[in-house]
Amino acid sequence: MPIEAADCRTPFGDARATCDALRAGRRALTLQPVLGEAGGDAVPLATLPGRRLDETAPPAWLSCLDGLAGAVPAAPWGDARHPVFVTSSNFGVGSLYAFSRDQDRRHLEFCTPFALVEGLRRRFGWGGNVAVLSHACVSAHLGLRQASRVLQAGRAERALVFTFDFISPFVAGGFHALKILNPELPAPYAVRPTGSIGLGDGAAFAVLGRNGAGFSLSAQTLHNEMHHFTANRAGGAGFAAALEPVAAAARGRRVWLKGHGTGTLDAGRLEAEAFARQFPGAPLVSWKGALGHTLGSCGLVELALALAAVRGGEAPGTVGSAPPCFVDTVATAPFATRDYDGVVLASNAFGGAHAACLLTHD
Amino acid sequence: MIERHLHALQFEDPGLEETAATRERLRALFPRGATRRMTQLGLLLGSVLDPLHPAEEDALVYASSFGESRALHDYLASFPTASPTLFQTSIHPSAIQQVLVARQQPVREFFPFGGRAQLVAHAVEAALLAPSPRTILCGGEERILPPGDSGTASPVGFAFALALGADRAAALGTLRLEESPAPAGELALAEFFAALRDRRPLDQPVAPGMRLVLTWL
Repeated sequence: MPIEAADCRTPFGDARATCDALRAGRRALTLQPVLGEAGGDAVPLATLPGRRLDETAPPAWLSCLDGLAGAVPAAPWGDARHPVFVTSSNFGVGSLYAFSRDQDRRHLEFCTPFALVEGLRRRFGWGGNVAVLSHACVSAHLGLRQASRVLQAGRAERALVFTFDFISPFVAGGFHALKILNPELPAPYAVRPTGSIGLGDGAAFAVLGRNGAGFSLSAQTLHNEMHHFTANRAGGAGFAAALEPVAAAARGRRVWLKGHGTGTLDAGRLEAEAFARQFPGAPLVSWKGALGHTLGSCGLVELALALAAVRGGEAPGTVGSAPPCFVDTVATAPFATRDYDGVVLASNAFGGAHAACLLTHD
Repeated sequence: MIERHLHALQFEDPGLEETAATRERLRALFPRGATRRMTQLGLLLGSVLDPLHPAEEDALVYASSFGESRALHDYLASFPTASPTLFQTSIHPSAIQQVLVARQQPVREFFPFGGRAQLVAHAVEAALLAPSPRTILCGGEERILPPGDSGTASPVGFAFALALGADRAAALGTLRLEESPAPAGELALAEFFAALRDRRPLDQPVAPGMRLVLTWL
């Protein structure tokens, strides 16, 4: 499936600026109170410049989405032949948290996924053909998969996948309660006594269509273990089920690997070992040690960063991690991409959800 | 035009039933101890999915406008000592995960849709385009009255599940999306549910360029 355009927004800026910051080893994560104004433990969070964790009315992140939507190539988005797929894990749930605290009814137009997306549709001038998907941290991959399927069936000419997640006390409080968001900065795939993640703001888009500007997505694979809400099946069968079809599609290519790599220990080890089995010797990176986990948007934010990395000729390493790692193929420093002709991109989510795909370039 | 045939239909229409009553009524359908932390939406979807025996190779498409409203509001009430259980239960696809985790039933493709006016259109499109031999299209809402008249939850509960396949033999009906010149259209989930429950045909624009046709044999 050809990719016509893609970009993202992180606390570092667009995909190119973010990629430059990652190559320089910078971290957007800083220690902030987990519940914003209500305080709590200081945990690693990466918010857009000047944005507070507590939601305003209207949300401060709307201007970020305005900028992102402005970068989308022009088309009659939302008409019958140009569908839009909006994906997120949390949508405007930070506004619901704020409403529960201050009862300010101005929050309500952003509280539910359908109200928020309807507001964005009007704001950006899209038509009514706007699908809404939410599958926690594989949400963006699902948008890409369904957009590809609609295009492959000849039901559309081009498709826009638009994704975002902005952190709030709601989500930070939840991951803190699960004890994986703690005062430690994340070090994806590193062997250490305690696992930890960071959380970050993220938004991205991709336009899929017939003319790909040299980049294509293939082998888009999904698998849902349904073994446990917050744990994977021991042995890594779920990771293998998601990666095997991608490995088959990548046979004969030289690929590098962009993993999920949040900084948790058990899932990080299972993922790294599964990658090493399916793609022996291929360098593995995660960028969540710098950006935090951008939740439902991560699959497309990181796809846009992978495109920027390839265009720039150098992939950022796993910022925040140092040997020893779970496997010796974890790249902790930037590396040249010229010797590779593909990137494997993977994400995971609650419920043992897996999504993976192959990004290839001419 | 894309279409599949309906091979099974299950629905739950509890209306204003409270969660505790739903839990008591449906307890026997779930593994021992599993219902204690299940939401009303999880219980209702478990009830309609159970006779269809979802399998790993089925595509599962799920539609809900409000999702896990009660867990979400209970989770908000748990602050400042946020509940980890309510947090993980509050995510949009949680109802299906509650059911399938309890049964240790993996599925390869799972598409959870949200939205409102075009929710049915896009969920049906995903179900009809899925390449699996059988697709299960399900959806529903749970009933809660959230504080502050916020409009962030459904006033009634319901759930449905359809098994869809390519074989016309012994089918109950047909679900089809046709191209339409109409620039707009909508069909809410509750209206789609009512048509399924009452076995009423549908033939109407449901999104730009899409006309949904439901016929019964």
